[in-house]
Amino acid sequence: MAEPTIETENLVKTYGRNRGLTGLDLRVEPGEVYGFLGPNGAGKSTTIRLLLDLIRPTSGRISVLGADPRRDGVALRRRIGYLAGDFIVDGRQTARELLTYLGNLRGGVPRGRIDELAARLDLDLGRRISGLSKGNRQKVGVVQAFMHDPELLILDEPTSGLDPFLQQEFLSMVRAARADGRTVFMSSHVMSEVQQTADRVGIIREGRLITVARVEELREQAVRRVEVSFADPVTEAEFAALPGVSEVSVTGTTLRCRLDGRADALVKAAAGHTVVGLLSEEPDLEELFFGYYSKEDTRAAA
Amino acid sequence: MLLRDPFTKALHDARRSLLGWTVAIVAVGAMYASFWPTMQAPEMAEALQAYPEGLLEAFNYSDLTTAAGYLGSAVYGLLIPLLVAVFAIAAGTRAVAGDEEAGTLDLVLAHPVGRARLALLRFAAVAVGLVAIAVLLGLAMLALSGPAQFDGIGVGGFAAMTLHLALFGLTFAALAFAVGAATGRRAAALGAGAGAAVLGYLANSVFPQVEGLTWARELSPFHWYLGGSPLIGGVQPAGALLLLGATALLVAAGTAAFTRRDLAV
Repeated sequence: MAEPTIETENLVKTYGRNRGLTGLDLRVEPGEVYGFLGPNGAGKSTTIRLLLDLIRPTSGRISVLGADPRRDGVALRRRIGYLAGDFIVDGRQTARELLTYLGNLRGGVPRGRIDELAARLDLDLGRRISGLSKGNRQKVGVVQAFMHDPELLILDEPTSGLDPFLQQEFLSMVRAARADGRTVFMSSHVMSEVQQTADRVGIIREGRLITVARVEELREQAVRRVEVSFADPVTEAEFAALPGVSEVSVTGTTLRCRLDGRADALVKAAAGHTVVGLLSEEPDLEELFFGYYSKEDTRAAA
Repeated sequence: MLLRDPFTKALHDARRSLLGWTVAIVAVGAMYASFWPTMQAPEMAEALQAYPEGLLEAFNYSDLTTAAGYLGSAVYGLLIPLLVAVFAIAAGTRAVAGDEEAGTLDLVLAHPVGRARLALLRFAAVAVGLVAIAVLLGLAMLALSGPAQFDGIGVGGFAAMTLHLALFGLTFAALAFAVGAATGRRAAALGAGAGAAVLGYLANSVFPQVEGLTWARELSPFHWYLGGSPLIGGVQPAGALLLLGATALLVAAGTAAFTRRDLAV
């Protein structure tokens, strides 16, 4: 198996008396999009700042792209693109000036590449950053993270402040990066931000990883509401006993139920009748995600 | 290209502030210097004699009867070093702590730039600004020396004074830089710089008036800078080396601390 792109072992970061990370074991494989989920204050930004050597671990081991951020930070950061959720820069410069400078820190990025990304995001490079809206400022951040085609993208709550159209554009850039074989590590406190692109999600809470799951598996486990319309009336009894099906209610020719996991049994049972319409909500992974939280809460309270 | 690296970028970012400070400092210096012909009038000397000696000493007005004495007191002795110190402390603070508190340092350090390299290049940009101010002021004094009758001060004297002034500024810039780089706090850097400037000034001009406190002068950067009257006496090796040594020590210590600590969020 290939060496992981990001690996941490028992990573601990203590701030004064606060515990930032309490033993984080993280493993991000090459070429995957990894969604790093957790509520605010769980340690997401702490982890990211450790990966970039902006802060130093209290104990534990970190390896990024096979290198130690503490020892080989400069060479390592050449291969990383980083975007913070709150992209703060000196506003007294134009977007082009900033991007040219940041490109030069990386040994130069062709002007055409910056123009191409700016055009894609509809960003005016000639304007002073102080005159840009929060969303437009965030676009500058997106451009600087992607412009040098890094092997690893570290994105800290990247789509906060972007409008829905730009979120889609951004996510398609993430997908394109994965298609090129790049690795993406993306943090968020909302599942919906990562569920469209992430291959796997890790859930962090109070400084350690609670669970890691493949998004596909989460989808299978997820609860969804299903509505089936038939040509003729059906009975509740036919469906109530099916695996994964609950809260069945039938009104005339319409069946409504809750579906846990796979849809197979329900579809096969429904196929015995003439199906007129089938409506299934996109599974709410958020609900599942918060399911982990509340379980943890109960455990903590006990 | 001014956006090439952190050094040129820092100069580029400071261009307006640097221009403003240079104009202000050169203008104040030139204005005071051009009063010299009127200061030579007998009425002025009488008026000054009416002041208590301690007060004049407190303002570094030691000798107002020669051009070198007047320039060393009124121009290079009080207003100019204070303005230079204020500029130096502000610029030294901005180099690391100001940027860090503004939240803009993370982005640069997430790029392939080493901490020590960034800190040293930023300080180098501050140093270039300080040298530029001192040299331009020196050139202005030199240009005025004919019309304003600065008899007895040669090019060498102005050059020595310029060197001392630049080193004096560097010392305060280095102090604010070092405290800022070590702590990441703007207020700490500004406070240390301002505190050292005030204490240094008092230790040079006021404390020595008290019997038993004359030694305090030896610890003052103002004394290292003004002692021996560089305008006439030329470069004073002890003073110049103390200023240079303090600068080097502070920059090295501040940079070392900066490479070891966590960046503030």
